[in-house]
Amino acid sequence: MNMLKFRRKRVCSFCQEGVVYIDFKEEKKLLKYLTEQGKIIPRHTSGTCAKHQRQLARAIKRARHLALIPFVADFTR
Amino acid sequence: MAIYETIFILDSLMPPKEIDATIERFGNIIASNGGKVRKVDKWGKRRLAYEIHKKQYGFYGSIEFEGTGNIPKELESEYNFNDKVLRYLTYRYERRKLKAMAMDEEGKSIKQEPAPVVEPPKKTPVETTEPKAAPAAEEVKQEPEEKQNEALQPEEPTNEEKN
Repeated sequence: MNMLKFRRKRVCSFCQEGVVYIDFKEEKKLLKYLTEQGKIIPRHTSGTCAKHQRQLARAIKRARHLALIPFVADFTR
Repeated sequence: MAIYETIFILDSLMPPKEIDATIERFGNIIASNGGKVRKVDKWGKRRLAYEIHKKQYGFYGSIEFEGTGNIPKELESEYNFNDKVLRYLTYRYERRKLKAMAMDEEGKSIKQEPAPVVEPPKKTPVETTEPKAAPAAEEVKQEPEEKQNEALQPEEPTNEEKN
């Protein structure tokens, strides 16, 4: 019961905005879906729907290849 | 004929003239293989997210072109041959990108043409309904004052005339 109480229903932010195509050139928007280390945030955390998550993953991977986004962010302790 | 875009990162230490020349060369490769260059875009010098060949900065450029599947291969061989190209990415515009482009164009055309036609009617009713009520009240208020002033003013000159 407690689990059910605390679980919030998350809605895909791309669906809400009506995004048709996720462009890999807008790296600032992509950074929202990366962890501090530069990992892709999983679907169940960000709430992105399957369709958009697939597009997002491709966009992030293209942006990484072009050095717009780091593969691994420097994480100095 | 599909639409492709090729993005390349050049050595930022190259002189600007040479950069222009290399971009032109890429354009010529596309043209010589039966492609059509749609757009050439220079993003300029940018900091790389990570070092490539010990370099912190790179000059980004992109060419949008229309053509057949052999062009990306030709470009790739040129990129690999050219030492000044740090990275490249050639991709075909997929269905969603084309849809987004079409929507953008529609949005632009709507904004350019019918928007002026649509907006004024919207604005005018709002202006007419609200201002009508407001100015009418103001006018009513102002009128008596004006009448009073008018009433006062004529009296004064008459007095002056009398004097």
